[in-house]
Amino acid sequence: VDANFVQVLQPFLKYAEDEEITGASRLRDLGLDSMRAIQLLFAVEDTYGMSLPDELLTDSTFDTAGSLWAAIESVRVHS
Amino acid sequence: VKLAEILEVTAEHAGRTDTEAAFPIEALEVMRSSGLLRLVVPAEYGGLGGTVADMLDVTLQLGREDMSVAMIFAMHCQQALTLVRHASPELAASILPDLGYLASVTTERGKGGNLLMSESTVDSDGSQLKIDRDAPIVTGGPHADGYLVTTLAPDATSPNQVSLVYVARHQVEVEVLGGWQPLGMRSTLSVPMRLTGQVPVGQTIGEAGGFRSIVTRTFGPLAHLGWSAAWLGTAAGALSRVVQHIRSDRKQFDTESELLLAGLARVRGRIDTVHASLRHTLQAFQTADLSTTPVQMLVNTLKVFAAEECFTAVNELVDLVGLRHGYLTGSPLRLERALRDLRSASLNYSNQRLVLANGSLVLLDQQVHLV
Repeated sequence: VDANFVQVLQPFLKYAEDEEITGASRLRDLGLDSMRAIQLLFAVEDTYGMSLPDELLTDSTFDTAGSLWAAIESVRVHS
Repeated sequence: VKLAEILEVTAEHAGRTDTEAAFPIEALEVMRSSGLLRLVVPAEYGGLGGTVADMLDVTLQLGREDMSVAMIFAMHCQQALTLVRHASPELAASILPDLGYLASVTTERGKGGNLLMSESTVDSDGSQLKIDRDAPIVTGGPHADGYLVTTLAPDATSPNQVSLVYVARHQVEVEVLGGWQPLGMRSTLSVPMRLTGQVPVGQTIGEAGGFRSIVTRTFGPLAHLGWSAAWLGTAAGALSRVVQHIRSDRKQFDTESELLLAGLARVRGRIDTVHASLRHTLQAFQTADLSTTPVQMLVNTLKVFAAEECFTAVNELVDLVGLRHGYLTGSPLRLERALRDLRSASLNYSNQRLVLANGSLVLLDQQVHLV
């Protein structure tokens, strides 16, 4: 995951504190609930100027920083 | 299992347990001795091998007699199925053959009913979990043979890393910290309790810190399905008693009254649409991917909708039959008890919290996929 993406994530992970965010970081464990997930989605879409299709918005997409980044990449590659 | 006998015992004691806010020990005893508490335990473990549909059917029947007993039974089955589906084979083999009544210890002061957070730490030396768990509401806790307890995972670094642990009653010290004096569902005896003691690490159900996926796949949907069945049974029982009353006392009721007929039709419609939603959600639970937003919204909506509609149905019946049979405690129609019991439905895991969660989920499904 790139450094810019970590900055996008940071405000939504209230338990991340000083912990380094990597692809394996589990977003739910770090404080991402369903209300914050939608706000994170909007931040991602604003930052990268794209829209994630409904089919990608599952629990597994929001599982780790890496799985969310992979979903973003899959859309960017195809657009 | 002779369900008729269980229903009879339930009905016989329902008035007294409501008045005294006492646990329905007679009904529990006959459920235990008849094997009904092992309804959803697979036959290989000596259970009846029943399905979720069987669990809901029995809950509906019990709800017609006593909503508290229906709630107790539904939540017991929710926990039994959680063990069946998520416990390790060794743990399942050690618990399920002698399964008694299970109570859940998932509430915490400060976080209410939020299942996915905990502030209850456990110490572990790698082989034992040292538990000291305080819970404000444990339904039937003093009468349970075992508990499913949420705590933080031993190495948790955030309050969202919640584990589910099976605790047998004999493994821990059980203290009842207060009483239960509510408006309705009085015989659920949902008291504050504290459990202290040690259990082997192997009694963790699923992965340490992995309760979230159990909630999504099993624990959450079964709570909503089970509660909704209990509430639907309560409303259906109330309408049935009212209809029998009208039929047997036609001098008192004008059966050509348009007010009465339209009112009855509305109540019946509410009950039928909750039932349709219950069956449809059950089918989705059995066949659809529970990690997807449309299915999660559907399951949440069942709970919110059933809570509102079943209460409204009985509230409308009160108006239709009037003060004597709708509002007084001695009436054989038992509408005032059903009304008090069903008032809890929107609070028993807050509708407001679920509606908020669904609001976020709606925004995740731009195409509005219908399940």
